[in-house]
Amino acid sequence: MTRGIFTPSRGGWALIRSTWLSWMQYRSFFFILAFGWMIPPLIYLLVWSTAAGEGSISGMTRGAFVAYYLILILVNQITYAQTNWTVGDLIRYGQINKVLLRPIPPLYDALASEFAGKVVYLVFVVPILVILAFVLKPELDLTLLNALAFIPALIFAWALRFFWGYWLALLAFWATRADALLALQDSLVFLLAGQVAPIALLPGALKTLAVILPFRYMVAFPVEVITGQLTRPEMLTGFAIQVGWMVAAVILYALLWRYGLKRYSAVGG
Amino acid sequence: MRPFRLIGSFMRASFQEDAAYRTNFFISLFTSLLNLLTGVLGILVLFGQIDSVHGWTLASTLAVLGVYLVVSAVRGLFISPSFDSLSGMDGEIWSGAFDFTILRPVNAQFFASFRKWRLFALLDLVLGVGVLVAAVIQLGVVLSVWQVLFFLFMLVVGMSILYAILLIFAALIFWSPGVLFTWVFDGLFQMARYPANIYPGWLRMVLTWIVPVGVITTFPARALTDSITPVELVVSMLLAAALLVVASILFRVGLRKYASASS
Repeated sequence: MTRGIFTPSRGGWALIRSTWLSWMQYRSFFFILAFGWMIPPLIYLLVWSTAAGEGSISGMTRGAFVAYYLILILVNQITYAQTNWTVGDLIRYGQINKVLLRPIPPLYDALASEFAGKVVYLVFVVPILVILAFVLKPELDLTLLNALAFIPALIFAWALRFFWGYWLALLAFWATRADALLALQDSLVFLLAGQVAPIALLPGALKTLAVILPFRYMVAFPVEVITGQLTRPEMLTGFAIQVGWMVAAVILYALLWRYGLKRYSAVGG
Repeated sequence: MRPFRLIGSFMRASFQEDAAYRTNFFISLFTSLLNLLTGVLGILVLFGQIDSVHGWTLASTLAVLGVYLVVSAVRGLFISPSFDSLSGMDGEIWSGAFDFTILRPVNAQFFASFRKWRLFALLDLVLGVGVLVAAVIQLGVVLSVWQVLFFLFMLVVGMSILYAILLIFAALIFWSPGVLFTWVFDGLFQMARYPANIYPGWLRMVLTWIVPVGVITTFPARALTDSITPVELVVSMLLAAALLVVASILFRVGLRKYASASS
């Protein structure tokens, strides 16, 4: 099974379109999923903004916490790696056969549900965020530089989380219960990707871990960039680490895909 | 004592099913520990920055988390597994297998609520009790027997409210096979990890009296520090009783509507 992984094709776009149409059929289901993903950051938004009250915690006022978490909810929805779970299931149940038979690289299948899903989620999440912004009154000092730097930070965050989730899911070629690892990954994202608290507020050791490990760069980093929490050198180091992890994730994905497929024989085949 | 004998045999049967998948035990243990760790660390990070929020300290917030873990464990022990086998596209009501359930010579609501047990959830129960004990030690109070009994009583009131809400959702399956209500509720229920008083005013009222997830965890934790007013006690008992009656009636009405799955 040798195939160019990244060759674009007309079939790829057709698949993306059809996946999107089929996802729109199940709107309400995905709205509920999006709602579920929104709740944890929303809890911490409320907890931290209440805790800050009229004063500030480590320099963050109530309004700054609101702005931080509202943007975090958006970034979390955009970068959320649903392939984490779906690709693993496809392999475990042998349904990936169908995907392998198509004359386009299987990566398109994941990309197709990625785009379809993201659009459906955003249709739900953006209006809610706008309403929340009116109610909770965020305070954001937006500079042009931060806004511009946010765009690549967000794209890299998405790519990092997508390929990171994909390589983890590919472990299903070797171990049938690899989903325990995914649960671990979710906990680490919760703790170290700026959800439970902005990274700057984490106690010493956790903060160091957060800066080194890839999870911050999947969610928190773009948010820190746009809310102006980072100095220029911190931003540059951040980008360097983010790109480094992204490249590592793509390499891991490519390697595991190649060796995994050789090992793979469909269930019941 | 027939109900207890029946529950015993439901537990045995469920345990025999689960014991066939032994690696699941370690995976359950692992996810329970992760769940505990993230919950406790979340609170430690918050109170590392601030001493108290609206009068809630590290110790009392930890008590709420302990109650949340205990309540979730009981839910995962039998309420959720039992109701889950009814709902969804592969559930009994949609597939028609519910015929065999109502044919049995026991009360349908009793059977539907107690028949499936997930004994791995006992791990969560142990961890939750551990967090509660740690919280009481942190609080630095010596509890009298009455306080412990009052706490347990509030816990039962909270559990009854949760059970009634879940039974209402289970009953709604007779009208539509969706499980969406439960998911929305689960989202809101996560908010019960923290004391209801930590949230802004309007949300606190919603979480206490409209979607009463706050009562389920915050009230028992407050019982430990003797801060429940008599009015709150009476109203929460009435709420639990009312919800139980409504849920039971709704289940019965739904049951009459059930017309099997034949075409």
